Amino acid sequence: MNFELTEEQQLMGQSAREFAKEYLDPIAVELDHTGEFPKAAVKGLAEHDFLGLILDPEVGGAGAGFVSYVEVIEQLSRSSAAVASILNNHTMAAYAIEKWGTAEQKKQYLPELAKGSILGALAIYENGPTPGIGADALVAAKQPGGYVLNGVKAYVRNAGEAGVYVVFATLNAEAGPKALTAFLVKGGTAGLKISEKVETMGLKGCPVAHLTFENVVLPESAVLGAENQGLEIATKVLSVYSVAEAAQTVGIGQAAVVHAAEYAKQRVQFGKPIAVLQAIQTMLAETATDVHLARLGMHFAALRIEEGKPFEVESAMVKSFLVRLGSKMLIDTCQVEGGFGFSEAMPLPKLFRDIAGTNLLDAPADFPEKTIAASIA
Amino acid sequence: MPKCLVCYKWTLDEQDIKVKPEDLSLDSSRAKGKISDFDRNAIEEATLLVEKNGGAVEALSYGTAAVKQSLKDVLSRGPEKVHWIADASAENADGAVTAKVLAAAIRKLGSYDLILCGEGSSDLFNQQTAPRLAALLGVPCVSFANKVSIEGDAVKVTRKLDDCTETLTVKTPVVISVLGEINKPRIPTMKQVLGAAKKPNQEIKISELGLKPEELQPKATRQSVKGFVMHRKNVIYKESNAAANVAKLAASLATEGLC
Repeated sequence: MNFELTEEQQLMGQSAREFAKEYLDPIAVELDHTGEFPKAAVKGLAEHDFLGLILDPEVGGAGAGFVSYVEVIEQLSRSSAAVASILNNHTMAAYAIEKWGTAEQKKQYLPELAKGSILGALAIYENGPTPGIGADALVAAKQPGGYVLNGVKAYVRNAGEAGVYVVFATLNAEAGPKALTAFLVKGGTAGLKISEKVETMGLKGCPVAHLTFENVVLPESAVLGAENQGLEIATKVLSVYSVAEAAQTVGIGQAAVVHAAEYAKQRVQFGKPIAVLQAIQTMLAETATDVHLARLGMHFAALRIEEGKPFEVESAMVKSFLVRLGSKMLIDTCQVEGGFGFSEAMPLPKLFRDIAGTNLLDAPADFPEKTIAASIA
Repeated sequence: MPKCLVCYKWTLDEQDIKVKPEDLSLDSSRAKGKISDFDRNAIEEATLLVEKNGGAVEALSYGTAAVKQSLKDVLSRGPEKVHWIADASAENADGAVTAKVLAAAIRKLGSYDLILCGEGSSDLFNQQTAPRLAALLGVPCVSFANKVSIEGDAVKVTRKLDDCTETLTVKTPVVISVLGEINKPRIPTMKQVLGAAKKPNQEIKISELGLKPEELQPKATRQSVKGFVMHRKNVIYKESNAAANVAKLAASLATEGLC
């Protein structure tokens, strides 16, 4: 048993950290204020092979494993979880195409996704309680030679920037999610409309918008996987996504601990640095422990994904752990920095918003605790 | 088309080294290794020269057993092959010992047009290795380089000195030590990191270099390395008038021998 990352995994993390310092640190604050899409940073992601990191070398990817991927996401998230979120959403779309796509679909999309000439995006959520249900649920009506899609997908990340969307639509409004089917929809397809950007609390710079489908005509070849296989695909992708997003949370938590610890060493009260005060040490120690344990759980789940073993329970555990403790990491580190930590001049408020966004978005299709409970009882 | 060799040192990352408050000794037990900062510039410069002029870049390092951890890192940054010498003698080696080992290894490996080094290492920064290496090999040494270009069978180098720059041309073979400002080392791409495992590395045993045991012993012995911690005296002068406070401060500084 070995808890250490391999040499390659460490080097990929080191490169990602160097990339983050050069490309992301200088723009992170401005990105948080303007929310503008970080084109230069995304171009840099492409140039350093991050956009095709886990894709097969045959389609131009780097062919790295999922442990390397989460290590990269963690290191990027320490500087900008928004940029990491763009990469995560892109990679999950590419992952779905690589796993369920036909040879033709892979040939059409994966080389472009790997080199970053187009971005990918997942469009899963709707305004109703679950995809496939509700007045504006996205419905795909079959017609000779293909489908016509009408409805709305909500809160789509990378919206407006993506060249291909992995879209989930029901074939039967009455059957709802049971008839969910995945489609590949090119950006700019006639009838596909992108809403105004949704203002979000955190992860600013990662564009979020709603997609409206008005009589969008797709050929039969646009189906990803099989008809009615959408729920299975969405559930599996979201389970992988939970581990990828755990890496975002761990990266944000690590950044918060490092900053708060540095602050505590420099802030002098009562004639000594506050880092020597037990109350401060306790908050820092507990947060560092939570980050460390989350990282171990995340690496374990990522390794199971990489090795093709069942990973859904471990993924749900990481998700559950971080939903409970992710925000606490920021509450405690802000507490260490006191009134200064509340100031927008300090990085913790941004990290606070980013960690909330990371934990709120893209939960597994069901509560993670349900998956965990089913595995033990 | 130049044949380049870059000499680099695998050092501890100073950011990971802690100073123990009880005796100011250094705790490096959790420190990770890294390629010495200026050596990264040397690697980048050699890689840029070869990208522009053709030729080849190889790397060479002498260190403790930990040097093996550097191989994929250095190969991901451009060199096509790395030669490495792992020996316990490197633990206490100074610039003189390091230069002897590197010179012996280079004689064994063959001839190179350009041998590049960092101006100094991140840990000791003695700036001894490059000039000593050049002397042992009997070739010229150009230090403080902040610009290098190939001009036929010569190399044009700009040196940044204290109050001026000096530009010169030198015939190869030559040893050049580079400054940090000469370039910005590239960030290895993911494919370059993964491709490093496919590049060759060659171990050279120190016993193959024909060096005598005494040549591996440094002339100077390091007694200790201690961290530096600034202690505040926390003295506040509270006289009612400023002149009295200044007088007390001046007297205190004089007592301390500071004025």
